[in-house]
Amino acid sequence: MKTDLVKSSQNLISGLILIAFAAIAVWSLSNLSQGTVTSIGPAMVPRTVALLIGLGGVVLVVLSLLHESEPLERWHVRGPVFVSLGLIAFALTIKVPGFLVAAPLSMMIAGWGSQDARLRELIIFSVVLTGFCILLFKVLLGQQLPILVIHSLSIRI
Amino acid sequence: MMEFFGHLGLGFAVALTMQNIILCFVGCLVGTLIGVLPGIGPIATISILLPLTFGLEPTSALIMLAGIYYGAQYGGSTASILLNIPGESSAVVTALDGHAMARKGRAGVALGISAIGSFFAGCFSTLLMAAMAIPLASIALIFGPAEYFSMMVMGLAFAILLARGSILKAILMVLVGLLLAGIGPDLTTGQLRMTFSQRWLSDGIEISLLGMGLFGMAEVFRSLEHGESRDTVRTAAIGRLLPNRAEMKQSAKPIMRGTLLGSILGLLPGNGAVLAPFASYTLEKRLAKDPSRFGHGAIEGVAGPESANNAGAQTSFIPLLTLGIPPNAVMAVMVGAMTIHGIVPGPQIISKTPDIFWGIIASMWIGNLMLLVINLPLVGLWVKLLKVPYRLMFVGIMIFCCLGVYFIRREPIDILMLGGLGIVGYGLAKLNFEPAPLTLGFVLGRMMEENLRQALIISRGDILTFVERPISLVFLLLAIVMLGIGFLPKVSKRREEVFVE
Repeated sequence: MKTDLVKSSQNLISGLILIAFAAIAVWSLSNLSQGTVTSIGPAMVPRTVALLIGLGGVVLVVLSLLHESEPLERWHVRGPVFVSLGLIAFALTIKVPGFLVAAPLSMMIAGWGSQDARLRELIIFSVVLTGFCILLFKVLLGQQLPILVIHSLSIRI
Repeated sequence: MMEFFGHLGLGFAVALTMQNIILCFVGCLVGTLIGVLPGIGPIATISILLPLTFGLEPTSALIMLAGIYYGAQYGGSTASILLNIPGESSAVVTALDGHAMARKGRAGVALGISAIGSFFAGCFSTLLMAAMAIPLASIALIFGPAEYFSMMVMGLAFAILLARGSILKAILMVLVGLLLAGIGPDLTTGQLRMTFSQRWLSDGIEISLLGMGLFGMAEVFRSLEHGESRDTVRTAAIGRLLPNRAEMKQSAKPIMRGTLLGSILGLLPGNGAVLAPFASYTLEKRLAKDPSRFGHGAIEGVAGPESANNAGAQTSFIPLLTLGIPPNAVMAVMVGAMTIHGIVPGPQIISKTPDIFWGIIASMWIGNLMLLVINLPLVGLWVKLLKVPYRLMFVGIMIFCCLGVYFIRREPIDILMLGGLGIVGYGLAKLNFEPAPLTLGFVLGRMMEENLRQALIISRGDILTFVERPISLVFLLLAIVMLGIGFLPKVSKRREEVFVE
């Protein structure tokens, strides 16, 4: 991972991300007014902060060329990917057809984020936990939570 | 003095109705239930459970919240003692000796002394709060926007000093937090900023969503790296819960010292409470006749830090309730909760709605008592819960976070944002950035901008107003000193040591 030019890949990447982040912020503020010191406009504070972040990013990049520090850690993709897929499934199904579908579906997808996942156990756990959540949040605590919504059958619980 | 008791009496009269006691009980119970899950700290727990209080009247809602808050705190300690997975940074210290005690079959005593210590700390800091509230609130009234701004700068500087790792990275995290706080409508003109014409961004980012993503989900991602390698207390034996006479005697002084230390540190803006358990642990180790016992199940190493933690957690309400400034992310979530119920924390809360103010103070004490009453008998239940293997547990954590996020606005897109923030949090950890300064920057961002603008309007654009006003100048000088200390090579080395320990 070590080349002669870049001594700390972690700082280099951090710096570049921050510079990009600051640039996006500055660009998104481009049509807002800066104002004056007496009456500060909507863009002044965030723009100044964004510029400082960009500056800090540059410092990190420069440091990465000068000093060695910890190397970049390995990213594990499996967990984040499956959990994110689970979250997407939840977001897509929570309104229609509702929690009764969204919860077990998302849990059964996300469960594979662990390398030790076992199908049977995961199914049982998802079903039990779905029931528990409905009981706790909907029945006992009276939260507004669509449990089962199927328009064609006019079901709305 | 009579006034002092009169106030407390008023508080208890408000808080002690049958309905409120039941709410406090339920709050404590579900707070512990969620808080005990590994990787879910108080921020995520409060965020998840906050919607439960929506339908209640303000006082009852706050009493239930106090229950949830203390339940969450104690749940975190339980998880770190039994599992060695601290839910948040302040529980790290408890894990050291608490878990060592658990492995020696003294889990019960560790849990017991931590509950007793926390209760003592809770009693003391409740009295302290009652005594200090009015003087502090009157100081706050002479503060103008310039003083507020400079005080928050000092708070941020302190948070930077407390963060581990590189100071530069901590400063950058604060700035990122400040920038993220700017998303949404401008304070005076109402123009939308940095929303990229997305409707779901037009109100800005919700603090509890940020907390659940950066702390809750990111922690799940990180834990999934290791697979099933948890160090659970497999032995069913929790042992007796109540410490015996010798153990009580051993713990009495650490509890008192921890309480005092925590109460003072909790008062500082910029999340001084986080320092409390570390400071107490170091102190006890220094004072001990045989420091080598620490790390191998020394009861003082549980009693002191746990008391300090609880005292700090409680006194950190003081800056919030008297000055209106949340000293950490947990308090920021509490501000959100209070605002929903029409309560704006700040100096005016004492004079305008004394029943609510003193009710909150009294309810904190009730929350502490409730903890002692329900948690010790229920320890067995928490132990069973913690025996669920992580490959299933994280799925449960995910679904609780989903529900918490959904209950805030009922917008499915927020669930996607939760995932996105989780990945950001995971990335921050990988790149050695700490999310805590970011959240504090986020929490204070709007208020700082507002006060900055007002101060400049008052001074007609003269920036020197911040150094010409003496109180403001003192705050700024303190901020500079703190940052200066952080940059000293010797100190940065010591910071590493403290955190490694």
